[in-house]
Amino acid sequence: MANEVRFDGKVVIVTGAGGGLGRSHALLFGSRGAKVIVNDLGGAMTGGGRSSAAADKVVAEIKAAGGEAAASYDSVEDGAKIVQAALDSFGRLDIVVNNAGILRDTSFAKMTEEDWDLIYRVHVLGAFRVTHAAWPHFYKQQYGRVVMTASAAGIYGNFGQANYSMAKLGLLGLSNTLAIEGRKKGIHVNTVAPLAGSRLTETVLPKELIDALKPEYVSPLVAWLCHESCTETGGLYEVGGGYFAKLRWERSKGKSYRIGRTMTVEGVKEAWGEIAGFDGAEHPADIAQSMQAVMANVQAGPSKGGNDLIDVDLALGYEYPERTSRYDERDLSIYALGVGAAADPLDDKELALVYEMHGSGFKALPTYGVIPPMNQLMTMAKEGLTAPGLKYGLDRLLHGEQYTELLRPLPPSQKLTHRSRIKEIWDKGKGALVVTETKSYDEAGELLIVNEFTAFIRGAGGWGGDRGPSTEINLPPDRPADATASEKIGASQALLYRLSGDWNPLHADPNFAKAFGFERPILHGLCTFGYAARHVVKQYSNGDPRYFKSIKVRFADSVFPGETLVTEMWKESDTRIVFRCKVKERDKVVISNAAIELYREIPQPKAKAAPAAAKPAAAATAAPAAAAVPTSDDIFTAIGAFLKKTPELSSKVGKIFQFKLTAPDSVWTVDVKAAPGAVARGGSTPADCTLELTDADFMGMCTGKLDAQKLYFGGKLKISGDLMASQRLEFLRKLDPALVVEAMQARGAGAPAAAAPAAAAAAAPAASAGPSSEDVFLALTAYVGEHPELVAKTGAVFLFDLSEPATQWTLDLKNAKGSVVRGKGEAPDCTLALSEGDFMDMSTGKVDPQKLYFGGKLKISGNVMASTKLSFLQKIDPAWAAQAVAKLRGEMAAAKPAAATAPVGAAAPARAPAGGAKAAALFAALGKRLAAEPGLAKDIGAAIAFKVTAPAAAYTVDLRTAPGSVKDGAASDAGATLTLADADLAALAAGSAAAQDLFQRGRLRVDGDVRLAQKLGFLKGLGA
Amino acid sequence: MGRKVNVLGVGMVKFQKPGASEEYNVMASKAARAALEDAGIAYDAVEQAYAGYVFGDSTCGQRAIYEVGLTGIPVFNVNNNCATGSTALLLGRQAVEGGLAECVLVVGFEQMEKGALGSKYTDRTNPMDQHAAVMSKVQGFNEAPPAAQFFGGAGREYRWRWGTKKETFAKISEKARKHAKNNPYALFTDPLTVEEIMAAPEVFDPLTRYQCCPPTCGAAAAILCSDDFAKKHGASRPVYIAAQAMTTDTPATFKADSMIKAIGYDMAANAAKKAYDKAGLGPKDVQVIELHDCFTANELLTYEALGLCGEGEAEKFIWSGDNTYGGKFVTNPSGGLLSKGHPLGATGLAQCAELVWQLRGTAGARQVAGAKVALQHNLGLGGACVVTVYRRD
Repeated sequence: MANEVRFDGKVVIVTGAGGGLGRSHALLFGSRGAKVIVNDLGGAMTGGGRSSAAADKVVAEIKAAGGEAAASYDSVEDGAKIVQAALDSFGRLDIVVNNAGILRDTSFAKMTEEDWDLIYRVHVLGAFRVTHAAWPHFYKQQYGRVVMTASAAGIYGNFGQANYSMAKLGLLGLSNTLAIEGRKKGIHVNTVAPLAGSRLTETVLPKELIDALKPEYVSPLVAWLCHESCTETGGLYEVGGGYFAKLRWERSKGKSYRIGRTMTVEGVKEAWGEIAGFDGAEHPADIAQSMQAVMANVQAGPSKGGNDLIDVDLALGYEYPERTSRYDERDLSIYALGVGAAADPLDDKELALVYEMHGSGFKALPTYGVIPPMNQLMTMAKEGLTAPGLKYGLDRLLHGEQYTELLRPLPPSQKLTHRSRIKEIWDKGKGALVVTETKSYDEAGELLIVNEFTAFIRGAGGWGGDRGPSTEINLPPDRPADATASEKIGASQALLYRLSGDWNPLHADPNFAKAFGFERPILHGLCTFGYAARHVVKQYSNGDPRYFKSIKVRFADSVFPGETLVTEMWKESDTRIVFRCKVKERDKVVISNAAIELYREIPQPKAKAAPAAAKPAAAATAAPAAAAVPTSDDIFTAIGAFLKKTPELSSKVGKIFQFKLTAPDSVWTVDVKAAPGAVARGGSTPADCTLELTDADFMGMCTGKLDAQKLYFGGKLKISGDLMASQRLEFLRKLDPALVVEAMQARGAGAPAAAAPAAAAAAAPAASAGPSSEDVFLALTAYVGEHPELVAKTGAVFLFDLSEPATQWTLDLKNAKGSVVRGKGEAPDCTLALSEGDFMDMSTGKVDPQKLYFGGKLKISGNVMASTKLSFLQKIDPAWAAQAVAKLRGEMAAAKPAAATAPVGAAAPARAPAGGAKAAALFAALGKRLAAEPGLAKDIGAAIAFKVTAPAAAYTVDLRTAPGSVKDGAASDAGATLTLADADLAALAAGSAAAQDLFQRGRLRVDGDVRLAQKLGFLKGLGA
Repeated sequence: MGRKVNVLGVGMVKFQKPGASEEYNVMASKAARAALEDAGIAYDAVEQAYAGYVFGDSTCGQRAIYEVGLTGIPVFNVNNNCATGSTALLLGRQAVEGGLAECVLVVGFEQMEKGALGSKYTDRTNPMDQHAAVMSKVQGFNEAPPAAQFFGGAGREYRWRWGTKKETFAKISEKARKHAKNNPYALFTDPLTVEEIMAAPEVFDPLTRYQCCPPTCGAAAAILCSDDFAKKHGASRPVYIAAQAMTTDTPATFKADSMIKAIGYDMAANAAKKAYDKAGLGPKDVQVIELHDCFTANELLTYEALGLCGEGEAEKFIWSGDNTYGGKFVTNPSGGLLSKGHPLGATGLAQCAELVWQLRGTAGARQVAGAKVALQHNLGLGGACVVTVYRRD
C-alpha cells in the first residue's frame, strides 16, 4: 500500500492482548512492522486465575504473519515487569496501549468493596503502573505514545457498572494530565472509548450487535493515535462499528454574578436557564480556557449591588438597540399646539411654530426634541424590551427630571436614529433614580439631540449603593423673578398634547385617573415642560427658538388642564435662565430646579448641505429625498474635474484606464494620457488597463469601506491589460473631496459629510492600501528560500487558514528545503486559523499572537508547540520583505503581462514564476559550454550538485570525465552539494556575487568538499 | 619577578542545566568549601577573595562567600564575559605574586537562564557592537544565537580557507563526549557519534546543536597561596602557576574583515606566546590542555592559536587523534565546555581544577599519563583571553 502507516522499529506494549480489542490492536501493530509485547494475564473476565495460553496464541499469530512479538504474562499491577519485558526483548519502548480490563458488574446496592477495589486495581492502578514504568524511557528518548481505554459507561454512566464507570473516567483524567506533562517531551497520550464485541461487552450488549462490533473496527484509530506522525494528544474518541469521532467538553455560556454580591440559592434558581442552557455554548479545551469565564467576571470588578427590582450590574451601561423615527412639520405643529403655542393665531412668532408656509420660515419648537426619543423608549417598553436588571413595573415609575439638549435647531423634517443607554443608577434610599440617555442622530449621522430621562422608581432603593450627586441645582436666586409669564392652560390641552405620542389614559380617561387617585385626568409633565420652555424662549430669545440650547427640569407636582401656569424666570447670564413653574390656583410649585441655556449664535449643521427640500406633505409618504450619498457618477465627474485642474498628470501617468462597473452597468474611460486628460462615459477609446467590478464594490472602495486589494485578491476586482499601470491610479488619492461634493450638488443632491472620505476613495486598487497576507506569504517564500536552515530547526508543516477573506497557505518547513504554497498542502502538523486582519496585525507586530490565542481569535490545532517555532516570522526585516515582494511581484507581472481577467491571487504566485527562474537557462548554456570546452572538466574532476531554491530546481554538473555533462537532479554521489537561491546563482554567473561571500553569509551552503565551491569559474558569463 | 604562586586547593560542584541547579550562592559556597578542604586550610586563613560571575546584580560574590565565613576580608567581584573565571584567577595570582597577600580564595559561579546568550541591557551601547559590526559586514546577521553566528562564521571562514570537512568539526564534539563520560562533574556524559552530531538540528552552518556548549549553572573555586604559606600548611609539591598572560583585542579584530580575527584568534595566539615565553616552555612541553571549546569551531581554531599544530593542520591533527588519549596532547579531558558545560563565571576555575587534578595524578579514569605541564585557555568575546601554564615539580 502506498503511504502505508508503518511502525517499523517501534516497540509497543498492548496489555490485555490475549483476546478481543487487545488482540486486534496487537495484530494490527504487528502487521505494520512494530515489535509487540503481547501482555495478558490469561485470567477470567472477572479477574480470577491466570494462564499463558492467551498471550502465546497471539504471539504465534503475529509471528505467523511475519511480525515480531513476545509474550508477557504479568498482571498490569506489575506494570514495571511488562515494561522490562519490552526492554529485555526489544531494547526499547515507544508505545503503550493500556487495554487490559475486567468486569465486576453489579448494581450499586449489591456492589462489594472487593468489586470496587478489583476494578480500580486492574483498570486504573494497572494503567498507572505500566505507564509510570514506561514514562522515564519516553521522557529520556523524548518520544512516546500512550493510549488509555475508557468506555461510554464512564462518560455517560451505565446501570450496574458503577465501579467500572469510575475507573474508566479516572483513566481519562490521568490521560488529560499526562498529555500536558508529556507534550514538551514528544509524548502523546489519548483515550479511546471503544464499543466492540468482546468478552467484556457480551454481558451488556445483545449478540447481534456484538457481531457487528468487531474489534478490528477499533484498532485503526488506536494505531493512528500511536503513530509518530499523529500530532493529537489529550483527546477522547468514541469508536466502534465503523464509527470514529472525537469528543470535547461543552460548557454553557453560564451566568456570572459580579463579585461582592451575595450569591443566593434564588440567584441560581432564577438563572437556571442560562446556567444549564446551551445557547451560545463554548468548548474550553484546557484549564486556561476554562478559567477565562471566571477571570472575566473577576476582572469586571466588584458588584455595584441592587435588589429584586434593580440589578445595577446588569442594567448600568446597557445599550438599547438602535431605533429610527421620522418627523416633519406636521408633527412639529401638532406638538406646538399641544404645548399651547399659537393660542394667539395672530402672533407672528407663534404662528411660525405651526404654519409651514410662514413667510419668515417655519421654525420647530425646540422641546419637540424630547418627543421622538421618548416615544421610541415607550414603544420599546410596550414591546417588552426593557434593560436587563430593571424589573420594576411602570406603576413604580415617575418621570422625575428631564434634560434635553439640541446641538442645533431641529430641521423641519428629519429621519432620526436613536441610541439609548442606561447612564446612571442612584440609590436614593426609599427609591432609586434611573437615568436613561438617548442620543439622536440625523440622517447624515450627526448628533442632533441629547436627552436624559431621569425616572424615580418608588420603593426600589435601599441596596446600600451610591446616592449620586446630592447638590440642589438651578435654585432660583434670592430675589424676585426677573420676568414672569402667566398662561391659562386649556381645559382640553391634555387631549391635544397626547396626539404627540404619550397615550397614557391617565391624561384622558376620568375613570382611569380616579383609579390612580386623581380627581380628573392630569396634564402630561412634558406638556408643562413645553409650556415653560416656550415662556423662556419668548422672554429671552426674542421668540426665536433657534437659539435654544438645553433645558433641565425637575417635575415637582401635577398640573390639571384648565389651571394657570406661572413661569418665574431669573436671568443668570445672557445664555442661562433659571426658572420655576407654579400653578397659580393652588400656588404649588410644579417644576423646580429648572434652567434653560441658550446659544449666542444659531448653530449651523456641520454638513454644508441643506437637507432635502421640505415638502408640505405628509412625511410618511414623502420619499427620502435622493441623495445624501455620492454615486459612482459623482466620483467620475469629480475625477474629470480633477484632471482638468491638474493637466500635468498626463505626462506623469500616461495611461488610459477603463472602469467597467456592473449592477448597474456603466463604463467609464479615464484618459490620463493625452493632456489635459478626460473622463468620459463609455469605452470606445482603447484602454491600457481595464478594471472590472460592481458598482457597489466600486463605491465601497471609494468610501474606504472596502479594501481595493482585498477586492482584487478576492476576485471581485478584475484587472486586465497592463497590470502595472493600475498602480499609476495612485494619483486619485489626491482627489479633492470638495470636487465630489460639487459633483453631487451639480446633480441636485445634498452632499453630506459622509461623502468627504470619498477622496481616498478612488484610490487605486493595486496601488495599494497596505500589504495583504499574500504579500506576507510572498515575502516568506523568499525568506524560506534564503534560510534553508529553517527546515532543520522547525521540522513542521503549518497550514494558515485565514478568513475574511478565506485563503489558505501552507508553510512547509519540514520537507526538502521548505516551501510556501497557496492552498492546503499535505498533512499539516499545525493549523493556525485566524482572520486576515488579525494575521496582518500579527505579522506586522501590531498584535501579540499570544493575545490572539488567548482571546480565541487565533485557533491552533495539531501540534501546538510547533507554532512556537514560528517566532522567526517576527524577525523578518520589513524593508527586506517589501523588496522581496516587489521583486517577486515584478517577476509575476513580467511573466504574465496579460494576466488578464483571472484574479491574479489564484495564480499561485508562491511557486515562483517560470519567467523569473534563471537556473534552467543557465545550466542549459553550461551544457553547451562543456561540449565546446572539454578542458573545463579536467581541472575539476568531480561532480557538483546544485540544489537551487526560489524556485526549486536541481542539477548536477558532472566533471569527473571530460567533456563533462549537466544532468537534472542532484546526484547523491557528487563531491559537493551546493544549495543556493536562483537569484544568487544568476549573480554568481554574472559575476556580481562572489562564492566566498555567499558562503560566508550562509546563502551558499556547501555539503561535502568545500573546495569545489571555489572552482565555479565555469559558470562565469552564463545566462547573460 | 614576583613570587611563585601555588594552587593549594581546588573544588567544584557538578554542573547542571538551568533550572536544575541550586542557587548561585549555594553552588559557590559549596565549591569554595571544597577548595578549602582540598587545601586543608580554614577560611579564616584567606586574606582576600575574588568572585567571578557575569549574570546577577552587584556583590553576588559577597553574598556567596558570606556563606563560608564573615571575616571581613576584601571581596572583589569580577566580570569579564566568558573569561571571567580566569580573570578572577589572574587577579588573585597577582595579589599573591606581588606579595600583597599570602592566601586568596578565587571562586567563579554562574546561575544561567535557559536559551542562548543574549543582551540584558538594551538601552545603551552594546559592548560587542564593534564585533557585531564586523560580522554584519562580513556575513550579515540573522536570527541564530549571536555567539553561534560569531564562532560558526569563523568556522565557515576556516573551512573555505582550508577546505575542511564538516565532519571534522563534529569529530571534536564526539571526543568531548567521550572525555566527559569519565567526569562526574560534567553535564553531558552520554557518548555521541559523528553521525548523530551531524544529524542534530543545525544552529548555524556548520555548527549543529551538539557543537554548541549549553547554558549551564555551576561553580568552581581555587585557593592560591605563596610558597611560605604552602610550607606552613604542610603542602608537598603543590601545583603552581608557571606563567599566566591575559590579552584583549587588537586592531586586527575590527579591521581585518575576518570572522577568525573577530572571535579573538589573535588574542589567544598572543596570550599563548606570552605565557610560553614567560614559562620558558613551548607547546611540545605540554601534555594536557583545557581550552575554550564554546563551539567546536573555536576548539579547532584554538589548536592552531596555541601552537598545538601548524596553521591549516587542525583537520589532520583531529583525525590523527592528537587531541585525545594516545595522541600528542589531550585537550579538554574534562569534556570541555561542550560536554562539561559552560557556566560563564565558573568555567575558568573549573578548567583550573581539572588541570590541578591532572598534574596531581588524581584525575581517575580521565588521568593523562605523565602530565607534568598543563595549559589553560579561557576566552571571552568582548574581549579577553587568559592563558595559564601550570606545573608540578
